[in-house]
Amino acid sequence: MSPFRNQIEIAWCPGCGNFNLLTDLSEALSELGLKPSQVVLVSGIGQAAKAPHYIQANVFNGLHGRSIPVAFGIQAVNPELTVIAESGDGCMYGEGGNHLIHAIRRNPNITVIVHDNQVYGLTKGQASPTSETDFVSKTQPLGTVSESFHPIALAISQDVSFVARGFTGDKEGLKSIFKQAIQWKGFSLVDVLQPCVTFNRINTFGWYRDRVYPLPEEYDPEDQVSAFKKSLEWGDKIPLGVIYRHVKSVFSDRIFEKLGRKDFLNPTSNYQTVFEDEKPGFE
Amino acid sequence: MPDLTITIGGEAGQGVQTIGEVLSRILIRNGFYVFSIQDYHSRIRGGHNSVQVRFSDQPIQAIGTDMDLLVCLNPETQEIHQPALKKDGIMIGTISSTPSPSLPSSMISIHFNEMAKELGNRIFANIIAVGALIEILGIDEKIAELYLEENFQKKGKDIIRLNKEALALGQNEIRRHQISRKFLDKRNGSQNPGNLFIVGGNEALGLGAILAGCTFYSAYPMTPSTGVMNFISSRSKKYGIIVEQAEDEIAAINMAIGASYAGAKAMTATSGGGFCLMAEGLGLAAMTETPIVILDGMRPGPSTGLPTRTSQGDLEFVLSASHDEFPRFVFAPRDPQDAIDTMIRAFNLSDYFQVPVIILSDQYLADSNWTFSQIKVNEQPKNTQTVIGDQNYQRYALTESGISPRALPGMSDALVIADSDEHDEIGHLTEDLELRVQMHQKRMKKIEKMREKTRPPFYKAGKTATIVGWGSTYGVLYEAREKLAKSGVDVGLLHFNDIYPLSKDILTFIKSVPQPVVVEGNYQGQLARLLERETQTPFDCRINRYDGRPFFVNELVNQIREVLS
Repeated sequence: MSPFRNQIEIAWCPGCGNFNLLTDLSEALSELGLKPSQVVLVSGIGQAAKAPHYIQANVFNGLHGRSIPVAFGIQAVNPELTVIAESGDGCMYGEGGNHLIHAIRRNPNITVIVHDNQVYGLTKGQASPTSETDFVSKTQPLGTVSESFHPIALAISQDVSFVARGFTGDKEGLKSIFKQAIQWKGFSLVDVLQPCVTFNRINTFGWYRDRVYPLPEEYDPEDQVSAFKKSLEWGDKIPLGVIYRHVKSVFSDRIFEKLGRKDFLNPTSNYQTVFEDEKPGFE
Repeated sequence: MPDLTITIGGEAGQGVQTIGEVLSRILIRNGFYVFSIQDYHSRIRGGHNSVQVRFSDQPIQAIGTDMDLLVCLNPETQEIHQPALKKDGIMIGTISSTPSPSLPSSMISIHFNEMAKELGNRIFANIIAVGALIEILGIDEKIAELYLEENFQKKGKDIIRLNKEALALGQNEIRRHQISRKFLDKRNGSQNPGNLFIVGGNEALGLGAILAGCTFYSAYPMTPSTGVMNFISSRSKKYGIIVEQAEDEIAAINMAIGASYAGAKAMTATSGGGFCLMAEGLGLAAMTETPIVILDGMRPGPSTGLPTRTSQGDLEFVLSASHDEFPRFVFAPRDPQDAIDTMIRAFNLSDYFQVPVIILSDQYLADSNWTFSQIKVNEQPKNTQTVIGDQNYQRYALTESGISPRALPGMSDALVIADSDEHDEIGHLTEDLELRVQMHQKRMKKIEKMREKTRPPFYKAGKTATIVGWGSTYGVLYEAREKLAKSGVDVGLLHFNDIYPLSKDILTFIKSVPQPVVVEGNYQGQLARLLERETQTPFDCRINRYDGRPFFVNELVNQIREVLS
C-alpha cells in the first residue's frame, strides 16, 4: 500500500468511483517520490472533499467551494510545498466557480482535482453544474432546465496552463495524468469522471466505459484552438488524457521577480528598522 | 490660542486634496498641530469634494466645526459650505459676484485657474491657492518655500521655481486686498518646526500591519479600507509582502487563511458589505484555529449604504458574525498612533490564541490625519508561536488552556491536519458528540485568558456624568469633555479601544462610573447594549448619530448638556 494511504474509516458508498481515485492519487504521489509532509491536500465540502482525510499528508479541509483560494494562499507563501486542491463538481464548478476562473489567471503552481460525477452526493442526489439537461432529481423533478457546464472548454478558452480528463475506470491513464499534473509547473486542472453509484443512474461506469477513449499519440495538446475543439467532444465519444498544456510563468516565480523573495514565513526586516525608515514620511 | 478651521471645496479631480495636503505639511513645519479630514463623494471626477484642515498651536484631535476660511474651487462650494462659515470668516476663490447682504463674511474673488494658466499650466492653481492661504493666515512663507523645494526635488529646478512663483502669485493676490481679520498673533506654532508628525488612519493601519510582520495581504478593494491596501502595496517590494487583489471578499479571506495555515502573518481588509461575504471564512478561521486579522472600515449601511461616509454600525455584527459561537477579539483604534499599536497587538494575540482578531476602523479614522509631537511603536511584534512536531503530532491536542501547539506544514515530519468539520485531536472529521463537546469547550475556554489580555478603557473621572464611547470618536469626546469641564460641567470620559472580550475587573469597574452617556455612531447604541449585556446594568442614556457624518465637538457639547439637564 502507498505510504500516502492511512487507516481512517472511509465514509463513501460501496462501489463509489472515489475509491479508485483515492488509490490512484495515493500511488501517484508515492511514485513521484514525494514525502507526505511535503504535500498539502486542500478540499472543500462534499463526499469528494473527504478524500484528503484518507490520505496521509497535510490537510486543510475548508469551506464548500473555497479550496482553491486556500490552496493559493498556502502555495504563495511557501512555494516548496506540493499543493493539491481536491473536491467535487458542485464544490469546484458551482460554489467555487469564480475562484477557478481567477486561479487560471493567477497560474499558481497548484493542482486542482475535480471528482466529477455530475451529481450532488452529500446532499443526496440534486443536479450539479455538470449534470446534463433534463436530469431528474428530487429538487429537479421535471428535469434540470440549465445546460451543463464544460470545465475543460472553459479552462482552455482562458489559456489554462494544464488541463486533463481522467476516468476512475482507467487506472493507468488516471495515475499518469495525476503524475503529470502534479509535476506540472503551473495551474493544472484534472476533471475526473467518477461515477456516483447511488444517485446518478445515467452516467454509470458502463455509460462512461462505452464512450471514453484515450487521446491518440499524435494528438497535439499544445495547440489551443484544436484543444478547444477537442474539449467540446462529449456524448458518444469522450476523450481522456491531457487535452491542453501551455508552459507559462507561475505566480510564485512572478512574485519572486517582482519582490525578490520566495518564502514569506518571516518579515524581511526588523520592525524598528522599518519604523525608522517610514517615520520621516510623516514629518 | 489660535484654533482655526479651513475648508477647501471643489470638484473631484480639481486638486482639493493636494491643497489640503500641502497646507497641512507647511503648517506642521511651522509648528502647528493639524487635524485634517477628507469629505468626498463616491465618484472619480465631478461631484463635490472637500478637505477640512483644522490647526492650532496646541494638540487637537477632532474635526472642526465652524469655518474661519473657505476656499472655493467651484461655485458649488460656496453654496454648500458658506452656511458654516463664521461671521468674521473669509471666503476666497470662485465666488458669486453678488454677495448676499445677510452674509457679512469677507469675500475675495480669485481665479486660481486663470492665474495658473498665465504661469503655463493649470496644475499651479493648487499652489497659488496655498500661497493665498498662507498670506491670509500670516504663515512664514520661507518654510513653505522650503517644503516646495523638498517636495518637488525630484521634478527639477524649473518645477521648483514655477511652484515658488505660484506661491508668490497667491500671496501677492491677497496683498492687494484689505484683510479685515488677523488670524494669528505669531507666524509659528509652539513647537520647533520639524518636530511634528502628521499621520492618516489608513496609513497607520497599514504601517502597523507591516511592523507586525504581515507578509500576506489579500483583499477586494472597498471604501474606506482601500487606503490600507494602497499603503501596503506601495511598500510591498521594499518589505517583501504579497498583496493580492482577490476576485471577491470570500476569496480574500480564504487566501489569507491559507497563507496563515502555511505560517505567514496574514490579513484582509474590507468594509461592512465585504465583511458580510467574509462571515463564513471568519468561522473557518475560528474552527481551524488559524490566526487571522480582519479589518472592517465601517461605513453606513445596510447594503451599499453611503459608501464614502462614516459609521459605527458594525459592532454588533462583528461581535456575532458567522454561525455558532467562538472566541474572537474586537478592537477599535482611537487614532493613528493607537492604530499602529493595535495592529501589532492584533497580530500578536491572533497568533498566540489562534483566534481571529477583528479591527473596527471607520471612514472618519481612515480618511483623517492627526498630528503628533512624536510617533512611537509601543508594542513589540512577536514571532509566530510554532512548534516542530513529529509523527505523533496532533494539531488539536486538548490542553488546559485550549491552545494547541501549532506546527506548520512542510517544516517537519508532523502532518498538519486542519478541518472545518468538527474534528478529533489529530484534525480528522468526527461525529463523536462527546468529542464535539470537548472540542467546543477547548475553543470557547480560550476566552477567559483572552479577557486578561484586553486593555482597560481610557478613563478620566468626572463628578456629574461620564461620556462613554469607542473607537475613532475618542478625540471628539475628549475635546467635548474638556469644553464642558471649562464651562463648569464636570463630566468624565470612559473610552473603549479593546471592546471584546472585556475582563471581569473592567466590567465591575464600569458599573461604578457616574451617569454614563453613551455616544455612538449608530441607531441602537451597540456598545451600550453590549455593556448592558455584560454588566447587567442599564446604559440607557445615549446619544446616537447615523447620518454618515462624524460627531462634532460643539454639537456634542450641546447634546450632552441637554441630556444632563
